[in-house]
Amino acid sequence: MTTKFELNGQPVSVDAPDDTPLLWIIRDELNLTGTKFGCGIGECGACTVHVGGRATRSCITPLSSIEGAAITTIEGLDPEGNHVVQVAWRDQQVPQCGYCQSGQIMQAASLLKDYPQPSDDQIDGVMGGSLCRCMTYVRIRKAIKDAAGKQGGATNG
Amino acid sequence: MLKRIAAIAVGLGAAGGIGFFAYAWYPAIAPVARPAPSSFSPDAVKRGALVAAGGYCAECHTRTDNGGGPVMAGDYKMETPFGDIFSSNLTPDPETGIGNWSEAAFKRAMNLGIARDGSQLYPAFPFDHFTKVNDQDVSDLYAYLMSQPAVHQEPRKNTVPFPINIRITGQGFWKLLFFKPGRYQNDPKHDAEWNRGAYLAIGDAHCGACHTPRNLLGAEKSGSEYDGAVIDGWIAPPLNEHNPTPVVWTEEELFQYLRFGVAPLHGSAAGPMSPVPHSFLSQLPESDVRAIAHYYADVDHAATRSSGDAAAVTRAMQMSGRNLTGPQTQDADARLYQAACGACHYNSGPAPVSGRPELALNNALWLDEPNNLYQVMLHGIGAKEGQDGIAMPSFYAGLTDHDMARIAAYLRRTRTTLSPWTDLEKKAAQARATLKTPPINASH
Amino acid sequence: MGKLEQLAKAGNKPQLSRRGFLMTAAGAGLMFGFARKAQAAQTMPSAMPTEAAFEPNIWCAIAPDGSVNVNIVRAEMGQHVGTALARIIADEMEADWDHIKITEVDTGPKFAGKFVTGGSWSVWDTWDTFRQAGAAARTILVEEGAKLLGTTPDKCTARNGIVTAGSKTISYGDIVAQAKPTRSFTPEEMAKLPLKPASERRMIGKEVAALDIPDKTTGKAIYGIDVKLDGMVYGRPKMPPTRYEAKVVSVDDTEAKKIPGYIRYVVLEDPSDIVPGWVVALGKTYPAAMRAADALKVQWTPGPTIKVSEADIIDHARTLGKDAKNGTHVFNDDGVDATFKSAAKVITAEYTCASVAHYQLEPLNAVARHIDGMWEIHAGNQWQSLVLPQLSKALQVPEEQIVMRSYLLGGGFGRRLNGDYSIPAALASKAIGGAPVKLILTRSDDMAFDSIRSPSLQTISVALDSSGKKISAMNYTATAGWPTQVMAPAFLAKGLDGKYDPFALSGADHWYETGPTRVRAISNDLANRTFRPGWLRSVSAGWTPWALESFIDEVAHATGQDPVELRLSMFTATGRNAGEAPNSTNGAHRQAAVVQKLAEKIGWGKTQLPADTALGIATSFGQERGMPTWTAGAAQVHVDRKTGIVTCQKLWLVIDAGTIVDPGGALAQTEGAALWGLSMALFEGTEIVNGTIKATNLNNYTPLRIPDVPDMDIEFVESAEKPMGLGEPGVTVIAPAIGNAIFRAVGVRMRHLPMRPADVLRELNNHTV
Repeated sequence: MTTKFELNGQPVSVDAPDDTPLLWIIRDELNLTGTKFGCGIGECGACTVHVGGRATRSCITPLSSIEGAAITTIEGLDPEGNHVVQVAWRDQQVPQCGYCQSGQIMQAASLLKDYPQPSDDQIDGVMGGSLCRCMTYVRIRKAIKDAAGKQGGATNG
Repeated sequence: MLKRIAAIAVGLGAAGGIGFFAYAWYPAIAPVARPAPSSFSPDAVKRGALVAAGGYCAECHTRTDNGGGPVMAGDYKMETPFGDIFSSNLTPDPETGIGNWSEAAFKRAMNLGIARDGSQLYPAFPFDHFTKVNDQDVSDLYAYLMSQPAVHQEPRKNTVPFPINIRITGQGFWKLLFFKPGRYQNDPKHDAEWNRGAYLAIGDAHCGACHTPRNLLGAEKSGSEYDGAVIDGWIAPPLNEHNPTPVVWTEEELFQYLRFGVAPLHGSAAGPMSPVPHSFLSQLPESDVRAIAHYYADVDHAATRSSGDAAAVTRAMQMSGRNLTGPQTQDADARLYQAACGACHYNSGPAPVSGRPELALNNALWLDEPNNLYQVMLHGIGAKEGQDGIAMPSFYAGLTDHDMARIAAYLRRTRTTLSPWTDLEKKAAQARATLKTPPINASH
Repeated sequence: MGKLEQLAKAGNKPQLSRRGFLMTAAGAGLMFGFARKAQAAQTMPSAMPTEAAFEPNIWCAIAPDGSVNVNIVRAEMGQHVGTALARIIADEMEADWDHIKITEVDTGPKFAGKFVTGGSWSVWDTWDTFRQAGAAARTILVEEGAKLLGTTPDKCTARNGIVTAGSKTISYGDIVAQAKPTRSFTPEEMAKLPLKPASERRMIGKEVAALDIPDKTTGKAIYGIDVKLDGMVYGRPKMPPTRYEAKVVSVDDTEAKKIPGYIRYVVLEDPSDIVPGWVVALGKTYPAAMRAADALKVQWTPGPTIKVSEADIIDHARTLGKDAKNGTHVFNDDGVDATFKSAAKVITAEYTCASVAHYQLEPLNAVARHIDGMWEIHAGNQWQSLVLPQLSKALQVPEEQIVMRSYLLGGGFGRRLNGDYSIPAALASKAIGGAPVKLILTRSDDMAFDSIRSPSLQTISVALDSSGKKISAMNYTATAGWPTQVMAPAFLAKGLDGKYDPFALSGADHWYETGPTRVRAISNDLANRTFRPGWLRSVSAGWTPWALESFIDEVAHATGQDPVELRLSMFTATGRNAGEAPNSTNGAHRQAAVVQKLAEKIGWGKTQLPADTALGIATSFGQERGMPTWTAGAAQVHVDRKTGIVTCQKLWLVIDAGTIVDPGGALAQTEGAALWGLSMALFEGTEIVNGTIKATNLNNYTPLRIPDVPDMDIEFVESAEKPMGLGEPGVTVIAPAIGNAIFRAVGVRMRHLPMRPADVLRELNNHTV
C-alpha cells in the first residue's frame, strides 16, 4: 500500500491504506498543515489542493486515486508565497480567522486559470463551494478581481 | 469490460442427449514443449502486443484482489451469483499457464472457446467475439503471449456448483444456441476504414460484450446490438442512435474518448470503461482508434443526428450556472449541489472548460437510470482514469443516499429535458451496495 | 507510518521542513505571535522578549535591537485583535510600527483571569490599560533618553521609536541597550499617567495591514488543529445520545479491532461531569480513529432529555412566561400594570428564534498531555480563565498544574468561549498515562456537541395612550437557555430581584422611551438541561432586536405612523436613556443620530421601488447597554409571491462605535457581522430533535455563501468618544430590517427566525384569504 505521487514538485512515497483521505496524508504524514479539515464531506472547500493543477477537495479524495499525480498545496503554490492570488489576498486584507483561506486561495488560483478575467457570476459559480464562516466574501471577490488585474498585467507586460 | 458480465454466462441448466454430447465434445490437443521465445519473429511479437492491448487481455487475466498479481498470470476473481470463477494464466508457464499449448490449441480457443484439453470455456471468455479475429492476429497474439515471462501461478478453484460446473453440458448447450463461429468478413458497402473499425470493435475489442443487452441465458440479444446494458451497477450506454446524450457522439468525440479517455462534450471514461482507453487503446496505432470511432459514428448515425449539437451546447452552457450564481437561491438541493459539485462542474462561455465536465451534457444525466451518476459520485475518478492526472473525489462518505438522490433529482430537473428519475434514494442505496469496499475512509 | 522519500534531501524547501513548532520538548513559555516585516514568517516563541529587554509593565517590552513586543491575551480568531491592541499601545508609546511584534501568550499567573475574548469587548476593555501601558513606556524612555542626550525630558519629543532633543536623537533600542532601565509602574501609578490627546494620535484610526494576515495566505499560520507532539495519538469521540446524564452501558470494539491503526477505546471518567457518557476511540492516525469510532458499538442509558424537541422547549418557555413569578426583572418601572389596565389599546406579539449552530470552520479539537508535572492543553480558546477551573476539576489537579497554550482559532464566534472540548482530550490523555492525545471532533460530532444558540421566545406588549399613537407602557419577556447560568454563573448580572444572564437578555433593555417599562428575563431550564446553551456571535443581541425592532415596526404600521419617525420620537434620551460618560455619552441621542443618518442615506420615504420590493429599517445599540455601539441598518428585499423566496438585494449600516481604532479591521468585522445577520435571517437555523441538534453538516445546514452576498454600504460615524466593540453589532439589525422590509413589500409579518420561503408563503396565503 505504497502510493507515490508528487507533492509541491517533490516526489513522495507514502505507506498508508489506500482509502486514507489525501488530506490526512498531507497534514499528518507529510506535515503540511496549511490545508485544513472543515466539513469532511467535500462541501466547505477548506481542504482544497490542486491535483494535476485542478482544485480538488482532499478530505474525500482517497490516496489510491492520486497515485502518480502532481499535488500542490498552499505551501507549494508559490515558493515565496507570492502567487498573484496570495499577493491580492494580502493587499485586500482578505483573511479574518484565516482557516478557510488556504482553500479559498487554491480555489481562486484554479478559477483564474479557467477564467482569467472572471465575472461576478463566474466567481460565484466556482467559489460557491468554498465556505467562509467569517464571511469575508466581499473581500474575496475584490481580491480575485485584483489578482485577475495583476495577472493580466503580468501576462501583457 | 467483459469480466463484469461473467455472472451472465454461467447461469445455465444442464442439458443432455447423445447428439448434444457429440456436438459439444472436443478432443484434447496434445501438449507441446514450450516454444522458445526466439522462435517468434520480433515483428509478430510486436503486432501480437497490439492485439493483446486491443482485446484488454491483461484486464481479466491479472489478479486484482489479495494484493494483486503478475500481469497475465490469471486468477482474476469474477463474482457470480453462482459462485466465483477465476481467470486462467495466460503466461507460457507449462504447468499453470499456456506453455504447453500449441498454436493450434490456442487458435481453437480463440475461434471456438475450447481449451487445449478439449473442455468448454465459460463464455466469460468472449470467444463469441474473438472468433471474428483473423488468423494472422491470432497467430501474432500467440507469439506475443508465448514470448512473455512464464509465471507459475495456479488460479484458485472455481466455486461454481454442479451442474453448472459441468462445462460440457452447460457451456456446450449455450454454444449450440447462440454461438456462430467464423472470422470477420469485410462489408463491401463500406470503405476500408469502416471495415477496419468494425473488425476491431466486433472482434478483438468485443465492445458488444458490455454494450449489447443479453438475454436470459446471458447471450447478446440479436436485434438489440449496442442498445446498452447494465454491467455491475454501471450502465454501458447505447452505442447506436438510442444513445440519449444531447450532443451526438461524433467521430471526433468518440476518438477523443477512446484515445484519451475524455470526450469534451460527453464526459470521461470512468469505472469499468476507464481502462479501455487509458490502459489499452492508447497503445494502439492512432489509425486503429480512429477507425473504431469512424465505425461507431456510423453505428449511431452521427452524420444525420448532429444538426442540433450546437444548440444543445448553447443550452447546456446556459443551464450550467443555474442556481450557482447570485442572487440568493433557497432551493436546498441547488445549495447542496453548489456546495458539493459546483466548484468543479460550473461552466460559462461558449463551451465547457477542459477539466470542468459539463453535467448538462454528460452521458450520466441523460441515461434512463442514475446508475453512472451514482457510481461516479461514490467511486470518484482517479488520476489514472478519466482525464489524465486529475481526480474527482469519492463522495462515498461525503453524500448520504438522501443527498445523492437530491443531487440526482436536481440535475435531472434542471440540466436535462427528460422525465424525472424515480426511487432515487433506494437506487442510491443499491448503488452504494455494489461497492463492497468503500473507496474512502471518512466519517460523514 | 508515513514515509518521506527524498523530502529529507529537500532541506532547501522551507515549506517542507518548517515544522520547527513540533514542540517535542517545549517548556512553559510564550507561544506564538506575529512579527512585522521580515520576521513575519515566524510563528514561534521568537517573539518572546529577550533577557535584556525592558519591560515597563506586563503588556510590553522593548528590546535593545529596538523591537517592541506586545503581549496579547485576547484570542486571535479573525478580528485582528492583536493588531488593533498593539496599535493602541504603540501609538501612545510613540513606537515605530515597523518594529512591533505581538505575542499571543499562554495562560499563567502573570495574566491570570484576563483570558476572555468575546462580547466585542477586547478594544473597549483594553483601551485604557494599553494607553496607560504605552504611556508608561514612553515616559521612562523619554526620561532615560533625555539623560543620555544630556538634557531634560521636557526638552525631548518621542516619535517613531526615537527620542529627539534639538538636533540630537537616540532610538528606543539604544536607550534600552545603554541605560538598561528597570523602572516599572503599578497599575495605580499607570492610571495617573497623562495620556496623549486625540489630536496627537498617529496610528489609531489609520489604516494598517493586520499582522496576522500574511501567514494566513501561505499556510504557515498555526491553529490548534495543527499541533503535533512527539508520540501523539489521535482520538475521536463516539457521541453520546444526550448532552447530559448519558451513561455507558457497554462497549463492543470487535469491529473496530479490524481497523488498521486502531489502538483502543477509552470510557471517560469525568469528575467535572462536563462530558458524561463519552467514549473516545484512539488510533495511530486520525483516519483510523475516525473509522474506529464509527465501528465502535456503544450502548448507553440516555439522559432524560432524549425525547425533547424544539417545540417542547418553546412550549416550555410559553408556560414559564405565563407565571409572573418566574424570571428576573431588569426594568420594572412603577405603573406598568396600571397603565396597561387603563390603556386605550394594547398590542401584543410573540417572536421565536430557532436554534443556531456556530459551525466555526475549524472543528473542535484539543491536544493534551502530562509532562514534567504539568498538564498541557494545546487549543484555540476564547476563555481560558473559564475552562481552567473546569479542567482542574476534571483532572483532579490544582489549576497551577495546568497550562493552556494559545493558538490561532479557526473561527470562534463564541463557540470557543466554552472550552468544554478540552476536557475529553485531557481525560483521554489521563486514561493512557498522560501521553499526548489529539482529540478532533468530526463535523457531525462537532454539531452534536455544539453549544448552540438557544431557541428563544419573546413576548412584547405595549399600551397605547389615548392618541392611539404613543406607547405609554411596555411589558417585555425574553425566555431562552442561559449560557452564563450553565457555564459561568459568577458572571450573571444583577437584576432588580435576582440574577439574570445578560447574554440572554441584552438588547431587550433598550434605549427607547416607552413609559413605564417592564423587562423580564427567564431562564428556560428545559433548554439548559437538553443542551449546553452557547454564546454565539452577538449573543442575545442576535435575537432580541429581531423581536423588538419587528415589534416597533408593527406598532408603527398598526398606528399609521412612519417607522423611522416613530423610532426617532422615542429616543428622548431622558432618565436612564440619557447615557453617561465615557461609555454611553449622550445616550439615546446617538442612537437617534444613526437612524436619522441611515434614513437620509437610503432616501427613506423618497425612493420608488418595483412591485413586491421594499426597504425596511431597524436599529440597535450593539451588544449591551453598558457598551453601546449605536447601530442602524436597512435592507432592501424582493419577495416572490409564488414561492415565498425573499431576496435581500442590499444592506446598509450606519454605526457609531466611538473612536475607530483600526478602520480596516472595523470594516471587515462589520461586513462579516452583517452577513452573519443575513445568514441567520434567511439561511441558517436548525432544531432540536430527540434531544439533540438536527443539522449534522453542510448537507443540511446551509449558511450563506458567496453568491448570496448582496450589495453593502457601511458607514462609521466619525467620533472621538471611547471605542466600543465591532465584532457583533453588525449582526443585530439585519434580521429585523429584512422582516420589516418583507412587511412593507408584501404586507406579511414574519415572527419566526429564520424566515424560510415556506413560512413566508404560508403567511402570504393566510394574508390573502
